[in-house]
Amino acid sequence: MQNHLSRPSDAEIIRRIINGDVNSFEHLLKKYQDHVLRIVKKHIPYNEAEETTQDVFVRAYNALPGFKEEASFKRWLSAIAVRTCYDFWRKQYRSRELPMSDLSERHREWLDKTLSNQSDQSFHEKSQEKEARELLDWVLSKLSAKDRMVLELVYLEGLSGKEAAELLGLSVSNVKVRSFRSRKKLEKILTALISR
Amino acid sequence: MKSLKHELESLRKILQRVYHEKEIVDVGDQWQSDVMRRIRNLGPVQSGPSFFMLFEQFVWRLTPATCLLIIVVATIFFNLDFTPEYDVFTSFINDTEEVSLAQIFGA
Repeated sequence: MQNHLSRPSDAEIIRRIINGDVNSFEHLLKKYQDHVLRIVKKHIPYNEAEETTQDVFVRAYNALPGFKEEASFKRWLSAIAVRTCYDFWRKQYRSRELPMSDLSERHREWLDKTLSNQSDQSFHEKSQEKEARELLDWVLSKLSAKDRMVLELVYLEGLSGKEAAELLGLSVSNVKVRSFRSRKKLEKILTALISR
Repeated sequence: MKSLKHELESLRKILQRVYHEKEIVDVGDQWQSDVMRRIRNLGPVQSGPSFFMLFEQFVWRLTPATCLLIIVVATIFFNLDFTPEYDVFTSFINDTEEVSLAQIFGA
């Protein structure tokens, strides 16, 4: 009870920040940093995740006056995190700063080995290998930034169309169409990869 | 020989697992300090929404009404037979011109 009383609610902290107490933002940062990092690390390359997470908190700080108290701060912050990741990919695709190299012989060997040995133990080991991550990045790089985000949220993360739409700020029908289209495209890419 | 469909499903499962295993979290205190430094550099947050935010909200709220107005005005213009009025106007202008030129040159 004492602990509950001493810990201010998110709404109370936000009120303090808006009233000029910038340092109170540290409470929100400590409370939600793991949550935001979990979201960002799933969508962004490892070496870019920390900086992008910083951007999420800076964007959230600037947008705090627009936060409605009756809403969940965690959900609101999650939406900012997902949209920041989407913006990251939009910028990357526009400037093509990240090299989108083709798959090497090493990746093809990994793929052949993986598909020929499909025990549960092998699955776990294979998914932890560097080649697996690189293959996933390569496959996703073949999609547009928006299709990529929709595919990751719906197909890989298992969110509903409505949940993904809320996070991305798109309509549910748009997400459903994109999800279907990007899933078909992904299957085409994977089929081409296996058939080679 | 495994079917293509089976292989596709296996690959999909692996990629899903890879995606979920990406979420391992580890950041240090330095990272927290860096974020707070950026926040402090920004200064106190604006208490009200900025002019551009209000403007954007206002513009989007008016969009349906604006579209409707455009359709209504376009329909009215298409239904109005304004060509004869234009012809009358042109002939009037031409006549005026001829008259005034005739007056100037004394024809």
